[in-house]
Amino acid sequence: MIICSGITKSYSHGGRRKQVLKGVNLAIDRGDRVGLLGRNGAGKSTLIKLIGGVEMPTSGKITRTMSVSWPLGFAGGFQGSLTGLDNARFIARIYKREYADIRLFVEDFTELGRQLNMPVKTYSSGMRARLAFALSLAIEFDCYLIDEIILVGDQNFQQKCHIEMFEKRQERSMIIASHSPEFIRGNCNKAIVLNNGVAKIYDDVNLAVDHYNHL
Amino acid sequence: MRDSWSVQVRVIHALMIRELITRFGRENIGFLWIMAEPLLFAGLVGILWHFTHGATEHGIGIIAFVATGYIPITLFRHGVARSVAVFTANQSLLYHRQIKIVDFILARFIIEVLGGMMAYLFMAVVLIAFGEFPIPANIGLLIAGWFLYALFCFSLCLIIAPLSEVSEAMEKFIPVTTYIVLPFSGLFYMVAWLTPEAREFLLFSPFVNAMEMMRKGVWGDKVVAYYDVWNPIIASAVAILVGLILCRRVRRKLAIE
Repeated sequence: MIICSGITKSYSHGGRRKQVLKGVNLAIDRGDRVGLLGRNGAGKSTLIKLIGGVEMPTSGKITRTMSVSWPLGFAGGFQGSLTGLDNARFIARIYKREYADIRLFVEDFTELGRQLNMPVKTYSSGMRARLAFALSLAIEFDCYLIDEIILVGDQNFQQKCHIEMFEKRQERSMIIASHSPEFIRGNCNKAIVLNNGVAKIYDDVNLAVDHYNHL
Repeated sequence: MRDSWSVQVRVIHALMIRELITRFGRENIGFLWIMAEPLLFAGLVGILWHFTHGATEHGIGIIAFVATGYIPITLFRHGVARSVAVFTANQSLLYHRQIKIVDFILARFIIEVLGGMMAYLFMAVVLIAFGEFPIPANIGLLIAGWFLYALFCFSLCLIIAPLSEVSEAMEKFIPVTTYIVLPFSGLFYMVAWLTPEAREFLLFSPFVNAMEMMRKGVWGDKVVAYYDVWNPIIASAVAILVGLILCRRVRRKLAIE
């Protein structure tokens, strides 16, 4: 379970204050595949970062009783000056996994070959996405936090993600931020619509998409 | 509790290796570079003093005296420099929940402490070979002094790191503090050489107390040292408490890309 109770988040910069979330209450169960819908700037990334523990809520509490991945997107999670394999080794260390196993999976899944010995800052965003995905799949989390844009890789990558994420790991939970109603209809069994800093969760995905389309 | 302790140990270990790779690479002498700067600094200044002040001061070898002062102060200067904006520099790693911001400071600081100790040892061995450095009279006191000095440096880093994130002005101001500290670091003197009033005043500084311990440990009966072990311990405990509170506050507000 992941439970968010009364989450607010505001950022202040130079005396200005912007409230992004104004009291979000959510419960996500094991096996839930939740689509996160919202306009640009509605707070989708913020909510995912809070659930992932990357940032802290201004008030409210998040309880996690299952292992939750770090937010998988284009940014974050890696040290750009280190090579792909050094990053893999670092992550194996901090998550207490065998580096040899992780390396095998990463080499196979990413198909990056010798590029894995280059610093991550030289990678394209697609290559970073492959690496991030491979590492998080190798660690095996109960719940994955995903920004849908990183799934928009080439055909081969999309297919691999689909097999690993939606076929082999059907029993896992996931929260996917997305702008694509088709994607959410096809892959999720619940959906959250974020609007004006408040979240509403729907058990009926079609209802959520309708609501989102009328925002 | 025990579990989270082992997680933190693992994280700090991983961060240290990462830091060593990014800073020193894997080529040539690699991480041995870490002791290069304190050695060069202590060595060159020592030689300079040797020619300007003469070979001994108050009866003890001047090169050794300068070296025992400069290596600890380098630890302090490096520790501070490495703490400024350390959270922003490492923010992409905060995506992994088990990494705490204090781990960043600790990992970097441990590397500096190890580097400083290696430099100290190397310098002592070389200078002893040339007859410029005594065999330490009390190694235990020397090591205790070093660790108290390091502890106090670390406690200051815990305050400086979060402050440097709070405002740009603060970030610019902090490097100056390492100069202000210089006269209070015990680098240039034994307090026994000073007037009683100056001595009393300087012994408020935890740096001076720890430095006196180290030098007493090296020269033993050849010098008169004044120190109170509790001064650096209490000062560090207070600074660590303040630092941890600041870190916690800053972490809550940290915006991560």
